[in-house]
Amino acid sequence: MSDSNMLLIIFAVAIGTYFLRVSGLLLSTKLKKLKYVNSLLESIPATLLIALIIPPIIKEGMIGIIASLFVIIVMIKSKNIFLSMSIGVFIIYLSRSNLLF
Amino acid sequence: MKNGFLSNLPISLSVFSYGIVLGIICNTKSIDYLQLMLMNIFIFAGSSQFVIVDMLSNNLSLSTIIGTAILINMRYFLIGTTLDKLFLNSSIKQKLLIMHFVTDESWAITMKNIKEKNITVYFLLGGGLCIFLSWILGTSIGYFFAQLIIEPKNYGLDFAFYAMFVAILTTMYKTKNDLFTFFITAFIAIIFEKLLDNSIYILISALLGSLFSLIMNKKVEDE
Repeated sequence: MSDSNMLLIIFAVAIGTYFLRVSGLLLSTKLKKLKYVNSLLESIPATLLIALIIPPIIKEGMIGIIASLFVIIVMIKSKNIFLSMSIGVFIIYLSRSNLLF
Repeated sequence: MKNGFLSNLPISLSVFSYGIVLGIICNTKSIDYLQLMLMNIFIFAGSSQFVIVDMLSNNLSLSTIIGTAILINMRYFLIGTTLDKLFLNSSIKQKLLIMHFVTDESWAITMKNIKEKNITVYFLLGGGLCIFLSWILGTSIGYFFAQLIIEPKNYGLDFAFYAMFVAILTTMYKTKNDLFTFFITAFIAIIFEKLLDNSIYILISALLGSLFSLIMNKKVEDE
């Protein structure tokens, strides 16, 4: 790949990405005036997160699911994101170092 | 701004190690440091940067590479639509500046805190800057110390990203209807990810899942 092509890619993607970031925010007030769009958008944060993380967690295999369940339980009990996250990572670490099962 | 920065520190560790991996790949694929930094500063969206670097070595056309990378970032449009309340009293200048620094991580942390605490757009900006710095630092270290670094994957650090989002999702759970929506969305996402083999599945699944939630809540109202 030549340098000029690389620069072209970087700036085209940069402009496209920036446009997406800004237009979502600027259009949202107009979008929300449409019927139902408001309640549709309200559930977006949760569904977007699920769509983003569930397939890769499933790909991690059984241990991905087990680690996630632990994260949920610790989160409900402690309400501490950092603690829950660390326990999830620790379980994956144990499994990858063959210290589990 | 400081609070936003501090709240994002835990997850910035995962961004940092993810950055190391990208830095190493760029080094081995003879992308120069300036190009990597231009990507970091102007694109600042990790997954699409990985895709660009990966596609470069596969001899694909420019338009394919650009199109795919932008498609992956389509979710930022949806993310933008969830932030309008936060930006209610902001000037257009603030909107244009701060939105560039929005990432999955800082957005999720902001959405978690938005209901409980009285936070402003500066919380979002502080978080974005925290992620921005750890991304620059991580990719730089990966780039310059490529030969010395032991695979961060061995420590499970790549899972921090998912673990954090699982924790945040737990806080978004409110009613039994949500549980139904969550499961349906997860199911749709798993199917579409297999079918499409392209990151657009994230967008489609999120929209279908929200549509499902809308229909279900509508039914409850009607009864």
